[in-house]
Amino acid sequence: MASEWQPIGAALSMGLGAVGSGLGIGMLANGALQSLGRNPEARGPIQQSMILAIAFTEAIAIYALVVAILILFVL
Amino acid sequence: MFFKPKIILILSAVLSVFVISILGGALGDSFGFGFLGGPMPFISIAAETVFHFSSPFSYDLKNSTIMLWIAMIVIIILSWLATRNMKDIPSGIQNLFELIFQFWIDTADEAGGKSARRFLPVVITIFLGVLIFNWLGILPGVGSIGKVETVEEWVHHHSHSGHCADDYKSDHTMAELCVLEEEYNHGFVVFDTSGSINLMPLGRGETTRAPLNAIGGYVPEDISKIKKKIKSGTAPENIDEFVQIQKNIHDGKVVNLYTKESDGSISPQSYLGKNTGELIPFFRGASTDVNTTLAIAIFSMIAIQFWGFSSLGFKGYGGKFINFSHGPINAFVGILELFGEFAKTISFTFRLFGNMFAGEIVLISMGFLLPLIGMMPFMGLEIFVGMIQALIFSMLTLVFGVMAVTSHSEHEDH
Repeated sequence: MASEWQPIGAALSMGLGAVGSGLGIGMLANGALQSLGRNPEARGPIQQSMILAIAFTEAIAIYALVVAILILFVL
Repeated sequence: MFFKPKIILILSAVLSVFVISILGGALGDSFGFGFLGGPMPFISIAAETVFHFSSPFSYDLKNSTIMLWIAMIVIIILSWLATRNMKDIPSGIQNLFELIFQFWIDTADEAGGKSARRFLPVVITIFLGVLIFNWLGILPGVGSIGKVETVEEWVHHHSHSGHCADDYKSDHTMAELCVLEEEYNHGFVVFDTSGSINLMPLGRGETTRAPLNAIGGYVPEDISKIKKKIKSGTAPENIDEFVQIQKNIHDGKVVNLYTKESDGSISPQSYLGKNTGELIPFFRGASTDVNTTLAIAIFSMIAIQFWGFSSLGFKGYGGKFINFSHGPINAFVGILELFGEFAKTISFTFRLFGNMFAGEIVLISMGFLLPLIGMMPFMGLEIFVGMIQALIFSMLTLVFGVMAVTSHSEHEDH
């Protein structure tokens, strides 16, 4: 079922998926840095919850990546 | 000061490595160099079978399983070294382990108070396991050293597993034809056998692949004709085409590869008559196999459900999901939560798998584009990502565990 549109599909999947999670991670880092600036003693908890939230956000891009890999190599 | 001989020596060494790596990589390949680039083709989502056992029971030993065993041995040795003679004032590897445990105890206290410490055995097991899986997976040689599987072996293996084997259980010939018909586009790596050792080609990447039908020398219509003949009662060894295809596949040489030009004419490709095969790496990072990550995810979700049921009781924890006493909206929320538990498993699985698999592909691609130096920054990145993913996997297990043991009514008091 290989088609000449496959690379386009994979590129769109990865590219559009990365837009959302890139924006999300940027917003998260923005919020974390602002709260760090206001309250530097709370570095530990802020960093930890930021990393957790980034993991959730980044997972969206990873799903897009898995779909892109599937389109390229399996379908 | 800048022109000291030592600095000039170091600078020129760095520069020459840079130039060599650019010339030897994919860029230099288009100018006729490209002597260093690693082969691109070994991106396979499923783990490869290294050995096939058939005598006591049928079992495919995958290369990621071997890596999992190695990781187990490493963890056992590390834990043994750390606890062999424990001292009050720790030093060496005991110190490292105490650091890890102290970090997790602090994290658990922060996430859910002292009672969250009972989750730690599972959490730290997952952390250490995933960490070692990830870090062993980026060692040099993992995924690049292996044996060459011939085309004949490949067809044989595929006719014994997958749906072709299920469809034609008793008829091995038909199963083999089914594989040939469906996988006719599967590419095999073309390599040169002029030397005494068979080495995979360097620096040419995807272009050195030949499809299965070019090696067997057939088009898929031939296969359906042979199938019809067999169905009408002719024995397979009496069909000349079938015997010829079998012989071609046994030889494993490209016999029938042509490129179609834009004006419709066809021209033979340069590697007609060369040997083909497929690299089966002996090792593959355990967390780059989706089965491993799914197994850890299921283990972690079962542990979370167990904690929820054991601390809130069947009614208390089950009430989070099936709840008709507070109106239709709450019932719907409960169903959403139930689906959420499955979504968590899926997201656990693909987060780890996707990150580690993508890292491996990035390393392979950089070895192909900029050999020698292109990998180095990404190796550092992979060490970092491996640790972060292990941390996230176990941290999420801890947080979900804390969420599971928090009762619904406690939430409403806020």
